[in-house]
Amino acid sequence: MSLKRIAITGLGTINGAAKTVPAFQEAILQGTSGIAPLDLFDVSPFPARIGCQVKGYDPADHFTRRQISHLSRTDQLALIAACEAVAMSAVTGCYDPYQIGVCVGGGVGGMLHAEAWLQGELSGKPGRPGLLRTLLPDCSTTALAHAFGFAGYQGNITTACSSSGTAIGWAADLIRSGRQQAMLCGGADALAMLTFAGFNALKVVDPNPCAPFSAGRQGLSLGEGAAFMVLEDEQAARSRGAQILGYLLGYALVGEAHHMTAPEPSGESAARVMNAALSAAGVDPGRIGWINAHGTGTPLNDVVESNAVKLVFGPRAAGVPLISTKAITGHCLGAAGAIEAVATVLALNAGIIPQTLHFRGVDPECDLDYGHAGSRATDTRIALSNSFAFGGNVTTLVLGSAALGQEVC
Amino acid sequence: MDCFTPAIAVTGSALISAAGTGLKPALEALNSDISCLKPIPAELAAGTSGHCWGKADQFKATDFIPPLKARKLDRASQFAVATVGMALAAAGLVKGEFAPERIGIALGSGFGGIANASEFLSGYYQAGLPGLSPMLFPNTVANAAASNASIEYGLQGPNVTFIQRFCSAESAILAACRFIEEGRADIMLAGGVDELTPQMIRGFAVTGQLQRFAAGFGEGCGILVLERAEHARRRGAAIAARLTAINTVGFLLPGAEQQGINQLLQTQKSCDQLFFSGPEPAVQPLLGTVAAASTRYPGRIIGSSLAMGGTVLGLLAASLQPGEQGLQLSASPEGPYYAMSVTGGDPA
Repeated sequence: MSLKRIAITGLGTINGAAKTVPAFQEAILQGTSGIAPLDLFDVSPFPARIGCQVKGYDPADHFTRRQISHLSRTDQLALIAACEAVAMSAVTGCYDPYQIGVCVGGGVGGMLHAEAWLQGELSGKPGRPGLLRTLLPDCSTTALAHAFGFAGYQGNITTACSSSGTAIGWAADLIRSGRQQAMLCGGADALAMLTFAGFNALKVVDPNPCAPFSAGRQGLSLGEGAAFMVLEDEQAARSRGAQILGYLLGYALVGEAHHMTAPEPSGESAARVMNAALSAAGVDPGRIGWINAHGTGTPLNDVVESNAVKLVFGPRAAGVPLISTKAITGHCLGAAGAIEAVATVLALNAGIIPQTLHFRGVDPECDLDYGHAGSRATDTRIALSNSFAFGGNVTTLVLGSAALGQEVC
Repeated sequence: MDCFTPAIAVTGSALISAAGTGLKPALEALNSDISCLKPIPAELAAGTSGHCWGKADQFKATDFIPPLKARKLDRASQFAVATVGMALAAAGLVKGEFAPERIGIALGSGFGGIANASEFLSGYYQAGLPGLSPMLFPNTVANAAASNASIEYGLQGPNVTFIQRFCSAESAILAACRFIEEGRADIMLAGGVDELTPQMIRGFAVTGQLQRFAAGFGEGCGILVLERAEHARRRGAAIAARLTAINTVGFLLPGAEQQGINQLLQTQKSCDQLFFSGPEPAVQPLLGTVAAASTRYPGRIIGSSLAMGGTVLGLLAASLQPGEQGLQLSASPEGPYYAMSVTGGDPA
């Protein structure tokens, strides 16, 4: 089995902060948050009424009426982001269709529409059965595969907030192992009452825009969106003259086996997944310039992730900024890992370490560098992106900039 | 291309199905061709009739899990915790006697979490904020079953859950084998889990799925213990079967269907035992592609679920004599398609 390096040749996203990759790059460089009052459904009964919704979105701008009736909001966001990634990669027609696969990390799928059906059932006014048609998150996978004619592998990973980080890692593995030549991978998740009410029920939603790693933080801000990458074997991508936008150098996924909702408090499990990802990538920890943190802004998560970084980097931890782009995009749950992976590649290529917005003061338990003072220039070429989830499903990606070129890690 | 090097050994399997708890009752029902399906109560079938389901109604969670703990788990998690426990025992694995970081779990689940989601949302829609249950929400995620099993048995290796139509479990089994192949784990628990609830049947009825998949919906869990054959031999575990290859295509491209089928089956033209998984209309393009001495369709006996690939593979592995070649073909409407090759026993 040859150890192929996996090149990123296409990027796409739509989220509450930006509707295209260039706009998202601008939002990351400028530190512009999309968190604002929500109007997708009635949030008036809840103490926290904000989130990072894709505002001003009209499906008719992108799809026919027939398509709209067959695609959930999640599926639509997935198709929009995937179209951008596929177009950027110019991969269509370059490989046998059975050698290009699709892997999506999903969350609630079409739950937003199924909720309308359930409400109708409960109130004795049955809703349209079609509202249930797109309930499962694998609908996005199949819709993408058929839309682009990618007839290879088809898979949907559903590990809550680490879904799409894992989907990207697994997609790279399918290429590295020779099972596929190219993969469209990423994730999509739309806002829904289930998750909004659920996180509110757990009392982990901040009534103000989330403030990761900051004193006085009260929890997360929910978001929605999609992000996709096209991955290829580097040599094959070079042979076809593709523009290489970055690298997926390696990944790891493990189970904490600790608790359904609480992270393992010492940070040892989170450190284990970061170390395993570095090992899988063959990258020395000394080469990591910064980390795109899971960084939800919940009191416990941010401390545990900080502890984990100290375990991985030891005395050097204070010199490895731990950045949360969730203050820009909100926590996009199943799509979070992919959106953050795209953000990481964009920042690496722009030569900056992004900032963590909404600083409210220093938390003595979060005593690392979180980029609260603003973004800054860097010549770093490799960063980690963490995705931690309910059930202790934790994943880390090792991402490299385009400037890494043929350099050996 | 997709042959595992070396082959992956099946050293244990367990299942819960409409036939009862364990591999034996399902295998007996399959061998005697006795259906375990029962009529769906008329009040759930939205005015339609003649439909059957395969409820695992002999399963009692408290036979496996202390009552207080069982109450916190959704039905799919109860299935998974019980089945993983039985599979570990079948493979001779005792908690505390294996390295937790070297054993992981990969599950497929078609509808994991939806029953809890429906109950959680019903509480809110009927009673507003006071109706929200923070106890229910965590198990609305599809990975709850695998995660609860990992917590119960300390499985700290790779942990992943797939939802991919009628091939959800096959997707998980492929990932599990790859994790072993590349050394991410020594042992993987792999398979699928699904539950059936009245609300789901209501949804199937109004969307026409009961008519479309009239052969009957099933529920339960099927888990295999997978490891490298050399690892199994080193620890003295019996090898029930070897998983030699898994091939998949996402869908059969119009105009190039035969190419897709060829990629799926490679050069395999015959086998001793052929098992199908997935709805019969979906597997139609695969019928007749491989000659077999025996062809079985477990879904007809215990009902079909999105994630029953683990159950079917467990039954196939248990049906093979040493050296016999088995093939499991699986398909979903619109794809994907899977072919999993198995050899019975341990030739070494």
